[in-house]
Amino acid sequence: MTETIQKKLPGDFAIWIFIYAELMVFAIFFISYAVTRSNHVELFNESQQLLNRTAGMANTVALITSSWFVVNAVHAIKAGRELLSARWLGGALVMGGLFLAIKIFEFYTKSVEGITLSTNTFYMFYLSLTFFHFLHVVLGMVILSVVLINMRKGKYSAHETTGVETGASYWHMVDLVWIILFPLIYLIR
Amino acid sequence: MEYQSQAVAKYYFTAAIGLFVGQILFGLIIGLQYVVGDFLFPEIPFNVARMVHTNLLIVWLLFGFMGAAYYLIPEEAERELYSPALAILMFWIFLVAGALTILGYLLVPYSTLADLTMNELWPTMGREFLEQPTITKLGIVVVALAFVFNVGMTVLQGRKTVINLVLMIGLVGLAVFFLFAFHNPSDLVQDKFWWWWTVHLWVEGVWELILGSILAFVLIKTTGVDREVIEKWLYIIIAMTLITGIIGTGHHYYWIGTPEYWQWWGSIFSAMEPIPFFMMTVFAFTMVNKRKRDHPNKVAVLWALGTGVMAFLGAGVWGFLHTLAPVNYFTHGTQITAAHGHMAFYGAYVMVVLAIISYAMPIIRGRAANSNKAQVMEMWSFWLMTVSIVFITLFLTAAGILQTWLQRISDTPMTFMAAQDQIAIFYWMREFAGVVFLIGLIVYIMSFFVSEEDEMNA
Amino acid sequence: MDEMFTKSMARNIFYGGTVFFFLLFLALTFDTMGVVPSRDNHENLTPTVIAGKTLWEENNCIGCHTLLGEGAYFAPELGNVYVRFGNSTEAIKGFIKSRPKDGIPGRRSMPQFNFTDEELEQLAQFLKYTSEINTSNWPPNIMG
Repeated sequence: MTETIQKKLPGDFAIWIFIYAELMVFAIFFISYAVTRSNHVELFNESQQLLNRTAGMANTVALITSSWFVVNAVHAIKAGRELLSARWLGGALVMGGLFLAIKIFEFYTKSVEGITLSTNTFYMFYLSLTFFHFLHVVLGMVILSVVLINMRKGKYSAHETTGVETGASYWHMVDLVWIILFPLIYLIR
Repeated sequence: MEYQSQAVAKYYFTAAIGLFVGQILFGLIIGLQYVVGDFLFPEIPFNVARMVHTNLLIVWLLFGFMGAAYYLIPEEAERELYSPALAILMFWIFLVAGALTILGYLLVPYSTLADLTMNELWPTMGREFLEQPTITKLGIVVVALAFVFNVGMTVLQGRKTVINLVLMIGLVGLAVFFLFAFHNPSDLVQDKFWWWWTVHLWVEGVWELILGSILAFVLIKTTGVDREVIEKWLYIIIAMTLITGIIGTGHHYYWIGTPEYWQWWGSIFSAMEPIPFFMMTVFAFTMVNKRKRDHPNKVAVLWALGTGVMAFLGAGVWGFLHTLAPVNYFTHGTQITAAHGHMAFYGAYVMVVLAIISYAMPIIRGRAANSNKAQVMEMWSFWLMTVSIVFITLFLTAAGILQTWLQRISDTPMTFMAAQDQIAIFYWMREFAGVVFLIGLIVYIMSFFVSEEDEMNA
Repeated sequence: MDEMFTKSMARNIFYGGTVFFFLLFLALTFDTMGVVPSRDNHENLTPTVIAGKTLWEENNCIGCHTLLGEGAYFAPELGNVYVRFGNSTEAIKGFIKSRPKDGIPGRRSMPQFNFTDEELEQLAQFLKYTSEINTSNWPPNIMG
């Protein structure tokens, strides 16, 4: 029983408790958004028009790419190729950094326009969700960096991949949330 | 008892139980004042008796936590307490300061107490639960620092386990967040905002770390389950506690002038606050089921299991009942809050302190567990107190639902006092349940005096 | 279930999660401090009102009443009492002044505090100030 579950869930199970909890928070947030939107369709559509969809799209690409890099890093370490795995992780971090840079630019332009959490309900959700997600990207990058440092120290090998898988699982969660968040808040109307 | 210095816990536990009795007596007084409005008026007005009721609760729980720490930290650290003399000195300072403060509440009008203690120099009095004169608050800080220093040095010089580490984090957090009690801005919104940094971050934050580590200690000792397993659970539970509970502070920021986004943040995160409590229940039962031995102290196990269940019901379920902003809009500041408060404090904090007392006191008194007769008696007290707190909670919930309806929802809303008259029957029933609680408490105390003829030695 | 995770990972999640959410809480607190001035009616925080708040505290009013829903549940909510009393500070003062010294037989009664006229004015002004805080339309109706 234990083994089959372990096969299904890569990495340390503790991270999955955290991931489930986080996904639950995001899910409730998304549902709240959808319900609130249905009551204020016009306000939401109006405000949504003013979002920078190009930036959002670029960020989607950045995160998906970084997720793919992380997948490659896991494959590489399973094949015992530590150096290659480290490079893929480095690449994922660069893409994560790109995401943060674009997102900071978006936050900056909004704040210059005087938009805050209290501007209206749409922006409450937009800023809450994207900022909350932003912090997750930061945390995910911290985790990936720790994995990378440990990799450099030679802590992982083809037989010892749990740490890499744990970090990868978290990073995929961060990516997954964005993949739902982006269309929900930037596109769907 | 493995280390002589653990015996200082006995002072703290004894004081805790003594103050507990006082808390319940004053609870009965204010319960009666709800229905017989002029009872003891104007000698002991409601506000004074209530202040004594809540302050005694806080102080005796702190005595309980300190006693627990003095007992379990040497055992976990595998060395004698850094300074037993300091522990006993602080005990007397805390007890005398606490007693003087309570006497101050009872003997002079509150405003006179404010004048006598020169509240105008640094006004911190007159806010719920933080009514103590500023000088008492400073005394609490001194005692807390000396206490944290004493147990901290013990841990530093001894074995560091997850349990004593988590307990230390909880105790340091307790001291740190108490500092917000000294911040009292004139701006009412600011005042209320920071007030919760003490009150919420205590009871739904750092206190839960203390609760978790005491519970984990009792479970390790009574079940013999591997420390490794219990410590893992402890980490996960307290992680979930803080992950949900810190932002969960937002459920107090709905209607006090703070920005409206707290209605979302507070609702979402506090809706998840039952999860760690549920995990705690599962944890307690799993560990007892996996037990590697049958500890002779069965009643301590009962208290530990009771903590899991009642904390989940009181803090988790009853908290969730009124935590979502759209519900809280109607129930905020009604008897629903009182219902939740009673079961949550009893289930989480009262029960865990009674669990560690139940486990440690026999050992301090030189036996592995009390006689069967004493244990049966204590179990009676467990059920009497627990069942009556459940009924107190149910009656107050009923009162709160009716109050909310009559006063806030109905088409012809009543005034506060008119609504109170309508729900008086529930206050009477609550008072009756309170009397049963007191009987349970008396039985509890009597269980300490059962003769030890058929004493069990393990 | 506990065979599936390690203690060190559980520990990391505790420390990491706590730091993460505390930082988030600080960020939201920072934002709150920026918004509160537009809602807290601080422009009416006159010396009289501040003196009223001190009186409110030094007589432990919160020991019976709620204020914006927080406090004891023994006596009426006072966050909106100014409105409930017909937007009148005189009515508030009259009520406080008229409390019988020995209470009302069998019923709850507010104590007689023997306030001076100046003190009554300060308390009433404090309650007026409180009623003008933006509380997102709480309480639901005038009864408090």
